[in-house]
Amino acid sequence: MFRMILFTQWKWSRLVIALSAVAAFALPVLSVERFGRADVSRWEVQEMLTSIQAWGVLYPVLAAALALLVAALAWSPDHRSRHVYALSLPVPRWHYVLLRLGAGAILLAGPVLALWAGALVATTAATIPPGLHAYPTTLALRFALAVLVAYGVIFAVSSGTARTAGYVLGALGALIAFEVLAAAAEVNVHILGPVLLRLFVWPGPLEVFTGRWMLIDV
Amino acid sequence: MSHAIEVRELHYRAGKTFEIRDFALSVPTGSLYGFLGPNGSGKTTTIRLLLGLLRPLGGRIAVLGGEVPRDIPRILARTGYVPEQPHLYPTVTVAEAMRFHAAFYTTWDWPWADDLTRQFQLDRDSRLGQLSKGEMGKLEMLLALAQRPELLVLDEPTDGLDPVVRRDVLAALLDYVSQQNATVFISSHLVHELERICDWVGVMDRGRLVAELPMQSFKNGIKRLRVANPPALPGDTPFVLLARETANGALETWTVRGWQAPMGQYFEGVGASLREVIDLDLEEGFVELLRTFREPRS
Repeated sequence: MFRMILFTQWKWSRLVIALSAVAAFALPVLSVERFGRADVSRWEVQEMLTSIQAWGVLYPVLAAALALLVAALAWSPDHRSRHVYALSLPVPRWHYVLLRLGAGAILLAGPVLALWAGALVATTAATIPPGLHAYPTTLALRFALAVLVAYGVIFAVSSGTARTAGYVLGALGALIAFEVLAAAAEVNVHILGPVLLRLFVWPGPLEVFTGRWMLIDV
Repeated sequence: MSHAIEVRELHYRAGKTFEIRDFALSVPTGSLYGFLGPNGSGKTTTIRLLLGLLRPLGGRIAVLGGEVPRDIPRILARTGYVPEQPHLYPTVTVAEAMRFHAAFYTTWDWPWADDLTRQFQLDRDSRLGQLSKGEMGKLEMLLALAQRPELLVLDEPTDGLDPVVRRDVLAALLDYVSQQNATVFISSHLVHELERICDWVGVMDRGRLVAELPMQSFKNGIKRLRVANPPALPGDTPFVLLARETANGALETWTVRGWQAPMGQYFEGVGASLREVIDLDLEEGFVELLRTFREPRS
């Protein structure tokens, strides 16, 4: 049963998985490409860190995009048929949702492993100045966590009906609109800021996306 | 008599205009039950309620001895379902759709599924999105049959199919029913199609069950009578008077249900005379039944 769920999800999202795996492998390799040369000693350590940090912005972006597409693709065929087929299968609804969630999570392992491999290749190929250290496994684990968190959130939203997704997006839109109107009216009410803080600052669930994503650091 | 499907006091509302209320239905085990009704009468909604795809506001639904929605996975494991609209994943191939479906049913019969694939001339490598309407109809029926269900719920399974495909699909269905004592619940607005294969009939209109009876009683029981000198008030009739219309002068046409020949004595008792008894076919009976339901006799 799970094998067939995994198969269908692979079929629907293989292009996204393949492209993400290539991007995930390439990102760490490209981020240290300049530092593999023999004259690396001439580079300032600070410049290397700045460059790595600049490339690091792309990891959470890739994680979020990958999670978004895989979660959406897990449900789009069922949405199109108004879930009639899924609901007529002889499994409880929660079981079916878990099967789809699990299948997506397994597929996400591909790009995560690609990033880990890319990070290992990159740190082996690069000349790392004294005082700096490579963190390929930490980076890959962080990427895996970010992908899984984003996938979980987006999967939960997209597993519901279009109406549910509409409510979630509507609530977000209303929050932003309220904030803008409050600012325009010079009313000192802030809702969005504290909400974002709750989400993105520890122990918020999206904290993993913030901060510096460094393949090489002190 | 045991019942594969039993519905009592079902209540469901969709939007502001459509409602199913006080709905009761009994499908005898082993029967071929035709569920008739015009488009928009609530047949598909009722089927979705039976299979737990929709949640009712009230009432009780029992299918194959289990309660809906409590026992729905166990019920669905023993039920083959062909929905009105194609519902399968369009990007998978015929072979993949069969493998996917088979993974969920322990009773799946691969040799028979392969036989049906050949019989229906389905190309196993074709994507579902590329199948014609007829091929999709055959595949849906194949999937429902190859799981060897005790109950088949078919929602307009031949709607829009050409006569050849329709014949193939119905032949496969009847072949299965003859092998296995399965119950078939088949909805359609194609009256003649059900007339040939069903032994029970239920008629639905505007969210209500108008009639439910054995097909033979339905076919034989609805008659058109030519009555001379009819009484102004029919009084206590031994049959159900569905409609009465003046034909010419003192002659009236009565449409009745539950007619039997000895009931002709009723007319002598009220000073009228029965001139002619006209048999109605199922379609005419169906139309009369709906007409009476929509415009009740005052």
